Amino acid sequence: MIRAVNLIMLIVVLAPVVVVMWMSLTPTAMFVLPITQFSFRWYREALSYPGFVDAFFLSAELALFAALITLALCFLAVYGIVRYRPAGAAVLRSFFTAPLLVSAVVFGIAMLQFVNRIGLYNQFSGLLLAHVVLVVPFAIRSLEATVRAVPEELEWASMILGRSRANTLLRITLPLCARGLVTAFLFCFLLSFSEVTTTLFMTGPSLQTLPVRIYTYMSDRIDPTVAAVSALVVLVSLAVVVFLNLLGGFRRLDSQG
Amino acid sequence: MQDRRIPAPWLFAAPLILVMAIGFVWPLLQALVNSLHPNTPQGIDVTQWTFGNYKRLADPFYGEILVRTLRISFAVTAITGLLAYPVALYLARLSPRAQSLVILAYISPWLVNTVVKALGWTLLLRTNGVVNTILLQLDIVSTPLKLMLNETGVVIALIPGHFIFVLLPLWAAVSGLDPALSWAAGTLGARPSAVFWRVILPLTLPAFVAGLVINFIMNMTAFAIPMLLGGARNMVASMLAYQVNLITLDWPMGGALAVTLLALTLAIVWAGQKFAMQLAAGRGLRP
Amino acid sequence: MSLEIVDLVKVFGAVRAVDGVSLSVASGEFFTLLGPSGCGKTTLLRLVAGIYPVGQGSVRLNGRDITRAPMHRRNLAMVFQSFALFPHLSVFDNVAFGLRSRRVPRDETRERVTEALALVKLDAMAERFPAQLSGGQQQRVALARALVVRPDLLLFDEPLSNLDARLRDEMRFEIRDLQRRIGITTVLVTHDIEEAFVMSDRMAVMQAGKIMQVGRADEIYRSPASRFVANFVGPINELALGGIEMVDGRRRALAAGALRVWLPQSGGMGNGRTNLVLRPEALRVAPGEIGTDNSFPAEIVDVVYLGGNSECRVKVGSLQLSAVMPSVVAARLRPGARVSVGWDADDGVMLDAG
Repeated sequence: MIRAVNLIMLIVVLAPVVVVMWMSLTPTAMFVLPITQFSFRWYREALSYPGFVDAFFLSAELALFAALITLALCFLAVYGIVRYRPAGAAVLRSFFTAPLLVSAVVFGIAMLQFVNRIGLYNQFSGLLLAHVVLVVPFAIRSLEATVRAVPEELEWASMILGRSRANTLLRITLPLCARGLVTAFLFCFLLSFSEVTTTLFMTGPSLQTLPVRIYTYMSDRIDPTVAAVSALVVLVSLAVVVFLNLLGGFRRLDSQG
Repeated sequence: MQDRRIPAPWLFAAPLILVMAIGFVWPLLQALVNSLHPNTPQGIDVTQWTFGNYKRLADPFYGEILVRTLRISFAVTAITGLLAYPVALYLARLSPRAQSLVILAYISPWLVNTVVKALGWTLLLRTNGVVNTILLQLDIVSTPLKLMLNETGVVIALIPGHFIFVLLPLWAAVSGLDPALSWAAGTLGARPSAVFWRVILPLTLPAFVAGLVINFIMNMTAFAIPMLLGGARNMVASMLAYQVNLITLDWPMGGALAVTLLALTLAIVWAGQKFAMQLAAGRGLRP
Repeated sequence: MSLEIVDLVKVFGAVRAVDGVSLSVASGEFFTLLGPSGCGKTTLLRLVAGIYPVGQGSVRLNGRDITRAPMHRRNLAMVFQSFALFPHLSVFDNVAFGLRSRRVPRDETRERVTEALALVKLDAMAERFPAQLSGGQQQRVALARALVVRPDLLLFDEPLSNLDARLRDEMRFEIRDLQRRIGITTVLVTHDIEEAFVMSDRMAVMQAGKIMQVGRADEIYRSPASRFVANFVGPINELALGGIEMVDGRRRALAAGALRVWLPQSGGMGNGRTNLVLRPEALRVAPGEIGTDNSFPAEIVDVVYLGGNSECRVKVGSLQLSAVMPSVVAARLRPGARVSVGWDADDGVMLDAG
């Protein structure tokens, strides 16, 4: 019986994604069911629709920078916490994971009002800042496991042999964390790429990321073009997920979100 | 270590702390400050301070929205809770490889953005969508069901979206149980259902409750799915926030909404965590 | 309640964890499954308990076929290596668990639980929780919980491995004592030879899913059925034999290609190569003459003090032998000294070289 429940849940979880991909292949301009013939014409439409293309590049650029910046900041912070075990470590950790508790909506409102206050409304830098903050909790979790996996003895050995802490960090610790860093990067990239709510709240028509662009398109009409671009988004996301899984990146998701 | 004026760990953490202070703390404070000023047609009047925005929230109009938000969230969380245990139990009995695969299947859709999923649900649930087409073809109904632009559609679409927030911690808890506990209960005469109710459930309840709480607040603060599947006539808190902040542009009110929503969700999380800890303590478990 | 296992087989993937095992345990007997890790002893126990479904074969408890019976209907009880106490239940509720599953009325439950706790000397701990107990106390609770349901069969899965050495010794005797008093048929799984010897009436030595030998401790130690068994239960000296012949009604052979030895009266005439196996304590080492059937001149290589006993390593030609004797005797021996080493023919065992 519980096998049945699992099957139902899997179907329910995968259904929307599968449907989008299936429907995007409709040969006609309407979603006439059942769709038995397949056509890629809407993909060509989607890829030539400037709104989507621009939005894609914006999203990709945003995700790239957000992931890189977050990685750098969080790696340093995590290193400091894990190696030095300062007294306020628990507090710091809570602080860094606080964005999870402040929902995307509340944060979106706050960022909206904030960027306007400091004159960064509809600017890439403001949006970048928001995405960095949103992604930090995940990066911290992931990187903490990564850094902990590097035995401290290796660093002591290096320092006893004459290298400074900074040099050790660069030459010993960092390379050993390579896989974990790549994993964290991909994860953060994907999260930023998929971010909707906060971005929606704090940007206007001139700075639309891909999810936001899809959203505004959808509020207007539902057609195969938007299904096609969504299907492409799914493919990109799944590709990253598969790659992440190969790197063993999902083993750390035991603790709750 | 060398003697430094600034302790080393804080040096390492400083850049992140700075970014968080500017990008997280300041915006929240800004919203809070804005919420305490009155709004005027010329903009926010920063010379005056008032609680008026908060007082306006007592209006039944806002109450109705809150109740709807709570109702939807509660329905989603309740159904999720019922479904999570069977799935977690099933998962825990699979081989490690199968477990990774199934978990991957559950996580992958979560990483696809919620708007795409909303599109999927629209295509599934609308009047001439996949579900209705199948139901009509199989003669299970004679007229299409109204599964969209109402609360039902929102609930249906929200369930899978936030499922893993309960599934993952619950699965971890179930997997983490000493298998000998189930064996001991079994050899002592407990039927498999009794083993679940008397051993597995009590021991995994704290993790379950904690997961449900997170799931609940994610439901409370969802935006894209309620907006696209519920529509303007089924307004929830996040949609109201959108309206106030981006359409009416009443930022003091918007700030008040944000602060209230935050306070509410934090209170729920705090209460939930406390409850979970008490459950754990009462069972001699480490929380 | 006797236990009868016939041709039991259990396969996990490509591994035959239990490969055609048959044995009988008499009512009231304390029987041990002994073997190295991976030999299948724990799997066998779990098959009897019903934790794993049986592949082939049958399990009968007092004549009743329980092979396909679900775990909760077999009326046996098991004590686990991790104790498996329910952390969310008090000691009392832990012990009462089995009674409540059997719907025993409340008064009787209370009576029997109190009795069981007194039996394991934990009366004062009824309201405590497992996390508050020491390892030894948890063990006793696990024991009480198993005994209170009056099972037909009591199973132990390496119950003492999680305890420190001194506690282990104590518990061995307590468990054995308790078992004798109550008279319950018991099967214990362990890899610890001393544990098996101290506690059991009979034991089975297992290897690679099969039973190598069944018998009492002294039978297994003195008359091992195979090289594996001999080596597993204690250190041995092994001498390859060749040219076995009969001389005046006694058997003789060339050991290790160098020594002419008198062989034991019975045993080992297999087709393949045969080894002569000697326990270290069967060897006598002394300066001058020793009166054993076999004796050879030797030189002492080393004397190692082990406490009550000492190990004495001697060289006979190029062959090294290990002897064990009380330290008071070994005290007179010095490395480099010329001595005689020897043994009585019947103290040796002839086994297939395998």
